[in-house]
Amino acid sequence: MQSTYNSHVKRIVVGLIVIVALGLAGKKLLAPKSFGVYGHYRADAIEEAAAIEIRHGTNASCLSCHPFEAQIHLSGKHSTISCEFCHGPYADHAKNGKKIGTLPVKTGEEIKILCLRCHNRAIQARPGEVIKTVIMPAHLEEQKVKTTHICNQCHHVHAPLRYINHAKRIVGMQEAS
Amino acid sequence: MNSVHEGASYLISNYVFPNDLHVHWSMMIVLYPYLSGLVDGAFIVAALYYVFGVKSLKPIARFSLIFALSFLLCVGMPVMLHLGRPERNLNMLITPSPSSAMAGGGYLFMVTLAVLLLLILFLYRTFLVKQQRQSKGLKRLFYQVLTFGSDNLSDEALALDEKVIKFLAALGIPVATIFHGYVGFLFGGVKANPSWSTPLMPVIFLFSACVSGISGIILAYIVIKRFRKEAVDTACVRTLINTLFGFFILAFSFEMLEVFSHHYLRSGYHHMVEGLLNGPLFISFWIWQVGICSLGPLLILGWLCLLRVKDSAFVIGSAIVSFILLLQVLFMRWNVIIGGQLMSKSARGYTEFHPEWFDKEGIIAVVFVMAVPFIILFILSRIFPLWMEGKSEAQGAGGK
Repeated sequence: MQSTYNSHVKRIVVGLIVIVALGLAGKKLLAPKSFGVYGHYRADAIEEAAAIEIRHGTNASCLSCHPFEAQIHLSGKHSTISCEFCHGPYADHAKNGKKIGTLPVKTGEEIKILCLRCHNRAIQARPGEVIKTVIMPAHLEEQKVKTTHICNQCHHVHAPLRYINHAKRIVGMQEAS
Repeated sequence: MNSVHEGASYLISNYVFPNDLHVHWSMMIVLYPYLSGLVDGAFIVAALYYVFGVKSLKPIARFSLIFALSFLLCVGMPVMLHLGRPERNLNMLITPSPSSAMAGGGYLFMVTLAVLLLLILFLYRTFLVKQQRQSKGLKRLFYQVLTFGSDNLSDEALALDEKVIKFLAALGIPVATIFHGYVGFLFGGVKANPSWSTPLMPVIFLFSACVSGISGIILAYIVIKRFRKEAVDTACVRTLINTLFGFFILAFSFEMLEVFSHHYLRSGYHHMVEGLLNGPLFISFWIWQVGICSLGPLLILGWLCLLRVKDSAFVIGSAIVSFILLLQVLFMRWNVIIGGQLMSKSARGYTEFHPEWFDKEGIIAVVFVMAVPFIILFILSRIFPLWMEGKSEAQGAGGK
């Protein structure tokens, strides 16, 4: 093919036009169908999101079948904590009011890890006024118990001060001021 | 602190919101403007020769463009490493939001790449056509693609090339400037961060980009020439150093102006920004960025530009000052990006940044991302010779 003095420039211009045209066509073809119906997003995304099965049932769902735990939980310092935060999602346990599975029960060291998720003083972001934080094992040493103790040996997990206040009442112990 | 108010002082100090504890935009976001800045600065050097006719820059004009292309090809890499899911990259271009600066940036990147690529292909056309004539088979096809299937080297064709080169180089100045200005704008546009949200941010990014790009070119030029045991063109380095001095004075003045205006205006979050610069960033901002890496180079540049310096000392001084200024810009990016995120929105406390080694945004990844442009530069240098002195440039590479 014989090249003229400007054939490369012409080819570049044509090439750029083709690239832009292909880009525009690609943009048209690849853009999701329902994009832009309501705004700068996929309209189908609304229905897709609505169709996702609900995983969390909130405390009202849990406590309606567990009145004994409810009574303890609502009386203690943990009353505002979500059951599912420690036990796992409602959807793994019940469906249409019927039990479909057992949520894993935390034991031993797992409990300690769970408690320290909120009560660890290493978490700089947590103001001490709102949540009581401790350093392990210094806390156990201060309380003069074995450093192998697990949190729930002294603290009821649903109402953390339940046993402690009860014990204080029995022995008539006064807080050292 | 008075012990009576200890409780109150605890309440108002060192409280970091949980979602501010982690620095989300980490080292890859430091590299992103650093790489695009190097592109911008390198392009400015080439533009000085091709558009403004600064003849002494001829030896490095082509090298600057190949250098710019090598880094431009890697600009997206740190962003993708940061975000993950690179396959979603195109979504931004398919459905760009008119209110998204990032989407605009995607298009801007493509325009910058097209201009730079075309400019390089036009500049090397004479060379590429000759290569095409000498080669066979696949190699010939490769050169045919690069020359757009034309082997016409008539005077008329070369005159046309010259015009196109001038047009593309002139177009490249606003394109490269807007491209890097946009990167600064991304940070300046973050209203929630008081240390970023200033109209000076794009300007500061732009000038520091020119500083890093010119420094990068000087250092790479001297190192490559020394490595190949070839003579360094000192007239060229002197012009570069003079240009660098000018850009650096502007860049450093704007960086300091920003601090002083924050200090003088004492606007809403001033106490946080001041505490940041004098607290967690004291070493990296005042000692490194301002002290060692800015005042030091100002003295060295003053010595190089204002006094009579022997050629050999000039070259060594230039390499040293370029290296320090490359560090200065890196510190500046670090202090703006990582530093800016160390303040909590609570306006009460500062968090800490701990770089990791093996993270996808860790130190190893940073070394990798910084090494790739040099590997690309090496590969490109096999196709496009970096130095054309001694050989006749049929089209005059801009026709000066």
